[in-house]
Amino acid sequence: MQETIATLDHIRRSVPQIREELGVDPIPVGAIRDPAIYELEKERIFRKVWLKVATAWELPDPGDYKVKELPVADTSILIVRAKDGRIRAYHNVCTHRGNKVVPSKGFESFGRARANVVTCRFHGWVFGTDGALKSVPMEDAFGHLDKACLGLREIACDEWEGFVFVNFDPEPAQSLRDYLGDFATLFGGYPYRESTTAFRYSTVLKCNWKVALYAFSEGYHVPTIHAGSLPGFRGIEHSDFKLIGPHASSTIYGAGMDTAPSTGIFAGVLHGSDSHAPRPDLLPADINPKRRGDFQFELPNIFPNLLIHLASGCGYPGLSYFTHQFWPLDHGTTLWEGINYFRPAANAAEYAAQVHVNALHRNAWLEDTATMEDTFTGIMSGAIDDMQLMDQEFLIRHAALTLNSYLAGDKQ
Amino acid sequence: MTSTDPTLLPAAFADLAPLAARWARPTENERNAVRHAATAGEFAAFHDALLPRLDALLTYLRDCPPRPEDPAQRNALMLACAYAEAAPHHELYGGSSEVPFSFDARRFVADHGDEAL
Repeated sequence: MQETIATLDHIRRSVPQIREELGVDPIPVGAIRDPAIYELEKERIFRKVWLKVATAWELPDPGDYKVKELPVADTSILIVRAKDGRIRAYHNVCTHRGNKVVPSKGFESFGRARANVVTCRFHGWVFGTDGALKSVPMEDAFGHLDKACLGLREIACDEWEGFVFVNFDPEPAQSLRDYLGDFATLFGGYPYRESTTAFRYSTVLKCNWKVALYAFSEGYHVPTIHAGSLPGFRGIEHSDFKLIGPHASSTIYGAGMDTAPSTGIFAGVLHGSDSHAPRPDLLPADINPKRRGDFQFELPNIFPNLLIHLASGCGYPGLSYFTHQFWPLDHGTTLWEGINYFRPAANAAEYAAQVHVNALHRNAWLEDTATMEDTFTGIMSGAIDDMQLMDQEFLIRHAALTLNSYLAGDKQ
Repeated sequence: MTSTDPTLLPAAFADLAPLAARWARPTENERNAVRHAATAGEFAAFHDALLPRLDALLTYLRDCPPRPEDPAQRNALMLACAYAEAAPHHELYGGSSEVPFSFDARRFVADHGDEAL
């Protein structure tokens, strides 16, 4: 097997190197337990770093918009593809008296700005998708109104590989590309935008956001919590550790499991299709660089609250990649979002097979989420002061240490 | 033919009409509700009847668009999707309508949950 030329050797870590660099001591749970820490997280992390809020393919045409409620930033945002084709983000706040310009349902909703304008339903102020205040009913009655200064309040917004990020800092300390750093290289080049069939699930969990993030950030739990979903499971190898500034990554290789009869048939449909078959050749060169056949997916943690699991059809049949995101609603409440991405089905058989794979994975997520509220209750009880973390839980250790450095003001 | 009358199937699968009536629904949320109310015996009967026909059903669906407009094709897809989601309950979960040791599935919100096939 030909090895690709690795270009990111400086981010790779052996287990001894991880232990040396991050330590092996228990990690205090105070950052999870203390409501005051959450207030600091809002100020020093969620208002300072780049946060993924959309994908470009959710907003394919000029005028398409998404409204996302972000209690962690105490705001509602409007993400819109403007007339010039660029995606921009604004506070969804009318500059007249503060009403929400585009009303929304739930935590996110979608729409289309007809004629590239949005109109506040309160008094009819009209804003362009470029943010400019276009017209004001009875404008003369204001005496003086400087419309040029009353556009929608813009939020820094940029794209990486079609993932749309915002930064609430009026003057972000870093560009998105600089913030992502080597992560952008490690995960860059995969055709994410081709996988437009999305099955998105969400739920509100009664736990601190880091409890949910950490639960999805390691492979140690797989043989136990997923025993029901993984019959005849023969173990995993969680390795290829990488440290990337505030981000980190690792690889899940699988030793296989028994395939249920129905799964074997559905998988055959997807594996027999050029679009959905395992495509290790599409993986970026530094992910599974030896192109091992037992590669399942790359498991990264993009600080502070995003996981993009890149599989390229190698793990769950036909599954291109999946993402998790963890949005704090308050100290003890979290909106979890999990999205399975597939390439579009070419026929009804492929679609039914995707529904099967999606159901298997959704059910595994039901097993994952079962732990989170109990874990938070346990931590809040005061019975333990620390987490004990093993090597496969290094993403948690790294995220906790990164969080501490941001809270201490060492970053940004 | 409407989404509430899922029993018209392609001729080769006409004998599966009673199962279609019991399980086939156009949306994920409706299929979830059917599954949540099913017994181990019903999961077993569905599995035992469908698994031997799954290859043939998927071969038929390979010639159908992902969102068929033809009522019989659409019903065949609804039946396949219902089985796609029900099979793990028999094969992996011991006939339980819940995923064992799991979060309450009713608290999961699917964005696409009300989108009809």
